[in-house]
Amino acid sequence: MAKKKEKPILAIMKVSEIELLSPAGSFDCIQAAINAGADAIYFGVEQLNMRTRSSVSFSISDIKAVSALCKLNHIKAYITLNTVMYEHDMQLLHTILKEVKKQGIDAVIAADFAVIEYCNQLQIPLHISTQANVSNLEAVQFFSRFADVVVLARELTLKQVAQLGAAIKLKKITGPSGELVKLELFVHGALCMAVSGKCYLSLHTQNASANRGACVQNCRRPYIVKDAETNEELLIDNEYIMSPKDLCTIGILDQVVNSGVQVLKIEGRSKGADYVYTVTKCYREALNAIENNSFTNENIEDWLKQLSTVYNRGFWNGYYAGHQLGEWTATPGSIATEKKIYVGKGSKYYPKIKVAEFIIESGTVKSGDTLMIIGAAIGMAKEKMDTLTVNGIQCDQAVKGDKITFPLGTKIAAGDKIYKIVDNSNG
Amino acid sequence: MANIIFYRNKCIGCGICFEMQPALWRLSKKDGKASLLKSIPKKDLFVLPAGNPVLPLAKEVALACPVKIIKIV
Repeated sequence: MAKKKEKPILAIMKVSEIELLSPAGSFDCIQAAINAGADAIYFGVEQLNMRTRSSVSFSISDIKAVSALCKLNHIKAYITLNTVMYEHDMQLLHTILKEVKKQGIDAVIAADFAVIEYCNQLQIPLHISTQANVSNLEAVQFFSRFADVVVLARELTLKQVAQLGAAIKLKKITGPSGELVKLELFVHGALCMAVSGKCYLSLHTQNASANRGACVQNCRRPYIVKDAETNEELLIDNEYIMSPKDLCTIGILDQVVNSGVQVLKIEGRSKGADYVYTVTKCYREALNAIENNSFTNENIEDWLKQLSTVYNRGFWNGYYAGHQLGEWTATPGSIATEKKIYVGKGSKYYPKIKVAEFIIESGTVKSGDTLMIIGAAIGMAKEKMDTLTVNGIQCDQAVKGDKITFPLGTKIAAGDKIYKIVDNSNG
Repeated sequence: MANIIFYRNKCIGCGICFEMQPALWRLSKKDGKASLLKSIPKKDLFVLPAGNPVLPLAKEVALACPVKIIKIV
């Protein structure tokens, strides 16, 4: 039997009251988050969000469908409008906020005072973005005039977070709703080399401002140190010295919960539905385990194994446990233990017999392969092909041009993508 | 002569094109994105035939665009 974690769990609040907030860069991701047990999703539209370059942003016309999908599934939807805002953005901002109000999006995540002011005028609930870098009680108190939720800077320790939570209760700091201000914390995903939202590397080198969502990720590259006197160049060995490993708090999630935060946020609006599903599911299970007193080392290892299968740069606890220096990646890009290879797309679904049909467009599929389906209705699903039906006949292998069919409980749409999962443990 | 090609729907509205070459560029108050003046819309892009004296600066603008959606061909 697995040994329970030594520290007793003295939850300040009920775990069931904690909100798990997942990223959504597409409708596939929203459905994946819903399927995995998210309480809320956050998304961006047009160019006024921090993932303008890296994700396929939603457009204003999508706000209605996002809101409807989330309401249908009883989860909340928050919209990020957290870039630096220029004068020429004001009309677009107004247009977006009017649509947000009309469609009943649950809150806006913002840092710029123009957004804060417009939300205030339109009486749209507001969350203060991590881009505001809130790190002290006075800042929380200041923003409580406008916002019911404050996303804290990722560079705080859990002790500092707990002190803020306790002070909010002690001083009865309430937001516009009259409820105590809630604290939100990033628990998983990419970290910035700079203090939240204060990086100008991309702007200085490529004229691409990270604060307009256009970061070119200079920090993720290897660098050479050059001796200016001798011109001797030294490659910094085995470390990408500006590229932090990804934040992962699943091993200390009981401590995160005990710090008194009410919203746990997963980073990754530019990631795929497989990432959103896997990460959300692990954190949902971990929260349930804390509540059920089954938050064991064995379970943590299992969650870490699952989290390692999707995009990651290696994990560390971030600064929450008191690290003064960051931990840096040793390789470029992801070290995920699994890789998905595109093989084809959905063509038909037979609802009476619940069978999905896909056309193979690239590579081969063999019996025994595990396939991943990604689409707006299905989110993300994995199916192991114990037997393979190719063009209506049981077969061992399907190649380009073949149609494969298999039983699937959820309807697929034409164009849904299908991938083959392959082991990537050795990179 | 060359063509300035502008993939407008990918514009993040940073305003560098307008800052550098106001003779050719504006920032739309409606949607915050840049507009290439007098250009011809073709599907998802905008095209403006251009020669001297605007072309050299237009090339610099294309280089400065942070999302590289301005091409000179």
